[in-house]
Amino acid sequence: MTDILRISVPLTAWLVAFSAVYGLHGLVCSDRWVAAGLDLAVGRAAMAAAWIVAIALQVALLLALRSPRFASPSAFMRGVSLTLSVTALVATLWTLMPVVTTSACL
Amino acid sequence: MNALRRHRALERIWGPRPGWRGKLTTVNNNDIGLMFLFLAVTFFVIGGILAMLIRAQLATPRSVFMGPDIYNQVFTMHGVIMMFLFAIPLFEGLTVYLLPKMLGTRDLAFPRLSAFGFWCYAFGGSLLIFALLAGIAPDSGWFMYPPLSSTLGSPGINPDFWLLGITFVEISAISASVEIVVTVLLYRAPGMSLDKLPIFAWYMLIVAVMILTGFPPLILGSILLELERAFGMPFFQVDAGGDSLLWQHLFWLFGHPEVYIIFLPAAGVISTVLPVMARTTLLGYGWIVAAAISLGVLSFGIWVHHMYATGIPHMGLAFFSAASTLVAVPTGVQIFAWIGTLWKGRPEMHMPMLWILSFFATFVMGGLTGVMVAVVPFDWQSHDTYFVVAHLHYVLVGGFVFPMLAGLYYWLPHFTGRKRFFKLGKTAFWLVFFGFHGTFLLLHWAGLLGMRRRIDHIENGSGWELINLLASISGFVMAIGFALVLIDVVVNAVVAVRGRRNPWHAGTLEWAMPAPSASYNIASIPEVRSRNPLYDDPELPVRIARGEGYLGDPSSGLREILTVEIASGRPSSLVIFPTNTALPIVMAFVTGGLFVGMLIKAYWLVPLSILGVTALAVWWAWSLGSRRDQEPQPVGHGLVLPLASEAKRPPGWWGSLFLLIANGVFFGSLLFGYAFLWTVAPNWPPPAWLKPDLTGPLLALGGATLSWRGIRVADRGLRRNGGPWLGLLLSLAGSVALASAAVTIFMRTTHDAHAYDATLWVIAGYVLFHATIVGLMTVFLALRAAAGYLSARRIGEARVVRLWTDYAVVTALLGLGAAWLPGVLT
Amino acid sequence: MLAGATAIFLLVLVLLLLAFRRGGGPSGSEADARRERVWIQGLGLGFSLTVLAALTAYGLYVGERLLPRPGPDVVTVRAEGRQWAWSFGYADAPGRSTENILHIPAGRPVDVEITSADVIHSFWVPRLAGKLDAIPGHVNVLRIEADAPGDYAGVGAEFNGRDYTKHRFTVRAHDEAAWNAFLQEEMQ
Repeated sequence: MTDILRISVPLTAWLVAFSAVYGLHGLVCSDRWVAAGLDLAVGRAAMAAAWIVAIALQVALLLALRSPRFASPSAFMRGVSLTLSVTALVATLWTLMPVVTTSACL
Repeated sequence: MNALRRHRALERIWGPRPGWRGKLTTVNNNDIGLMFLFLAVTFFVIGGILAMLIRAQLATPRSVFMGPDIYNQVFTMHGVIMMFLFAIPLFEGLTVYLLPKMLGTRDLAFPRLSAFGFWCYAFGGSLLIFALLAGIAPDSGWFMYPPLSSTLGSPGINPDFWLLGITFVEISAISASVEIVVTVLLYRAPGMSLDKLPIFAWYMLIVAVMILTGFPPLILGSILLELERAFGMPFFQVDAGGDSLLWQHLFWLFGHPEVYIIFLPAAGVISTVLPVMARTTLLGYGWIVAAAISLGVLSFGIWVHHMYATGIPHMGLAFFSAASTLVAVPTGVQIFAWIGTLWKGRPEMHMPMLWILSFFATFVMGGLTGVMVAVVPFDWQSHDTYFVVAHLHYVLVGGFVFPMLAGLYYWLPHFTGRKRFFKLGKTAFWLVFFGFHGTFLLLHWAGLLGMRRRIDHIENGSGWELINLLASISGFVMAIGFALVLIDVVVNAVVAVRGRRNPWHAGTLEWAMPAPSASYNIASIPEVRSRNPLYDDPELPVRIARGEGYLGDPSSGLREILTVEIASGRPSSLVIFPTNTALPIVMAFVTGGLFVGMLIKAYWLVPLSILGVTALAVWWAWSLGSRRDQEPQPVGHGLVLPLASEAKRPPGWWGSLFLLIANGVFFGSLLFGYAFLWTVAPNWPPPAWLKPDLTGPLLALGGATLSWRGIRVADRGLRRNGGPWLGLLLSLAGSVALASAAVTIFMRTTHDAHAYDATLWVIAGYVLFHATIVGLMTVFLALRAAAGYLSARRIGEARVVRLWTDYAVVTALLGLGAAWLPGVLT
Repeated sequence: MLAGATAIFLLVLVLLLLAFRRGGGPSGSEADARRERVWIQGLGLGFSLTVLAALTAYGLYVGERLLPRPGPDVVTVRAEGRQWAWSFGYADAPGRSTENILHIPAGRPVDVEITSADVIHSFWVPRLAGKLDAIPGHVNVLRIEADAPGDYAGVGAEFNGRDYTKHRFTVRAHDEAAWNAFLQEEMQ
């Protein structure tokens, strides 16, 4: 079961972060955000912050999976889990990059 | 005991009852798998006929072959049948049949559940076919966007057939997935650690988890839309606080993973068949496993790419555009790993290889057009045109049907035990291949010329006439090709000469048994040391038949099977499987009452059916277990193993865990829907928030504490050989309190006042439902304890109930908390 | 994009065909490791990632340019879809509405505010812009611009029931004089 967790946690964390930032984006662009007295700059800062947190989390997971304490005893599972962890890190960098490169709410 | 006598003895234990009754009561994976396959192919034929009707209509301009009322049903049902009644059940059937053989075990984890799933599929599918024949089939497109599919756009019964029929069928997908996950994790030949799993098993493990997480949003969407249609709860009606976009999110949260749910089993077939055809082993096994897992998860992050034209801000689209192109990378990894495998070996041109090559030619094009439509500005033009129609047929036919045909020809000798001799297959192949590309290649162009999908006729002077005529002619050529494939298969199954075992010289365990397969699959369970056990030891089939593996002695007369530890594959327990029973078909039939009652608005049938299902479920669960502690049993080779009924986490616990994961996704989708409406729906906030008084929250907190503690007190009581009575009583009181907390919400809101109130009703209904289930389980556990089925060692059932109790408690606190929160804050 | 896709498709086909020309290569774990580097890390990861990253960046860049940013000469019109017709309104001529024909000035950016009175529709004038959905309760803004005066065919591009096929409209682009005349005519 722990091996199953090792291979599923990093990408699941990406999915959660991805959905959360998309949800945050929906909130920032909604009337409720304006009604709360916040503007677009705050929204973008919040999304960028969430992105950085997600990246940090992925880096932490990658380091953990390399450390003797959390790494899988099986060489095969270690290889697969590290590949997937790197994938999740790349996915976090790549798919959430629009928070700093595209215009918001247009 | 010689091999033949062992065969007869095992056949007596594992086989179905004789005659047609055997088919209705069988729980054997061979029977169920073949029944799934047969029914799925039947639906493929029906869906194919509908496709031909569509092509006939569009062959010439201003065709009056069908009016829009019929045409809209025809194209909707073509999509519905092919997606829900053909593609998914086909690979489920293949998996149900093959998986235990490949894993070196005797059946799937929950045999009665396989049968129950099949009958739900058969009954639910029949509902839809009935609607089609009666001319009242769904007609708002296979993805059923409200308001068109709601009472506003479709006041008739048509969409109800979709919502209820598909949900009924979905039960089979969910139960098959629970089954597949638990089978791959627990039921394998000893020694088969995760790195030695047959690659097909990895793929199916991933697919099954994807179904468990991908289908619940659709089931939730269907329930919400049915509630709106039946009781006016306005989830998708903008005037009353709903939003039609919520449906699109829920639908595509399912719909995009669905594409990969269909592709990955086919990729599993290719990864299995292609190396054998190239006389080598798969290149980059670990990479392929990682790629398939990445594909599985990444595919959940691209649902919005079906909604580029709904007015989502550009940044939102950019997230999904980036994710959509990223998902092509693991696909690329698999494609190149397969080509590398071909380079590594010496590929031979047999029928399976021919179909695999046609897969490459077709699917790569579909993938490339897929990348194009992932690019936002391009999609704004091509969306909802025949470009997309052509793209999705390249992906689904190229990426699913062709590989499945490769699999069909590869495993045909296994199904029939015969050598292919009548060479109709090649003719059929070329007809299908050229027919397919003739139909869809030019339709890309028609789409770029502006031909919208779903139009019921084309006009003179549109510039698409010739393309459509060619497409229709090619379409009929393709249909003839598919008919020839079917004839080829039937002829080969009936008249060909007996073939030898393992005609392809494959290395996986399904070829280590006689063909056609015996009902017990494997006479004794071998110890496995690599991914291709038959390459290590070509004599393995003989040694298996001689009973030299585990469980080779059938003298107990019981259906015996081994479980292993998940990671290492060390044998861990002995399981006794239930035998043939009519319970699954009866339970599926009674479950059908619920759906039919909703469909024809005979609401009295619904509670009746629920009572019936509950009674049957109790009967189902009661028949397992033992009234006394047993010593570990010998399983051969001097190994003794405890019985699974004495494990702390019996297979049923694992099954519950994965079912609850699916359930958790359902619950999460519900909370997502609530949050979505709150942020996006135009007519929010609602006229009034529900302001809870102290009763509800106190009941909820008290109930949660009682249930949580109670089931643990009961557990401790059992372990110390005291009674579980006090704990069970506390837990039951907790369930009642949780249910009452939910009821306070019903009493203080009106279900159809606003989408907010309607959502609260669904949340409260969810909490009530789970509190009731857990309450019933607690009572069941008490009865079991009284009847002597529980002890300090036989504690597995109590652990199952604890799992469900914990789940009910957590979701109740989250759900009720979310329901009360806005009222408390404002 | 089409040329690139064709090139990739041909590359895959050629690689497939070449697999049949040669006998199996060297075997052993070292040879396999080399193959993994070439096929999986090189072609599978490196090649796919490069192509896709470039394509996504290009798509987002184009998408950014198409966004309806505010500008001095932007004209705003309103389109409301229903089963099975479109009504159009004009910000410069309040109270005026037309059925199934949308008047716009040529050579000026036009923001179409799209919404729906019943089910979901989609506003699509293939020669002027991509499509954007008309969703009940929401207003989506599409930027279109006609280079020259004339009639442009438009269709509803989201399936919406029985008469979907006939759900059409026309966009009539006027030169400046005719556009002013259209607005004036309304004022009277």
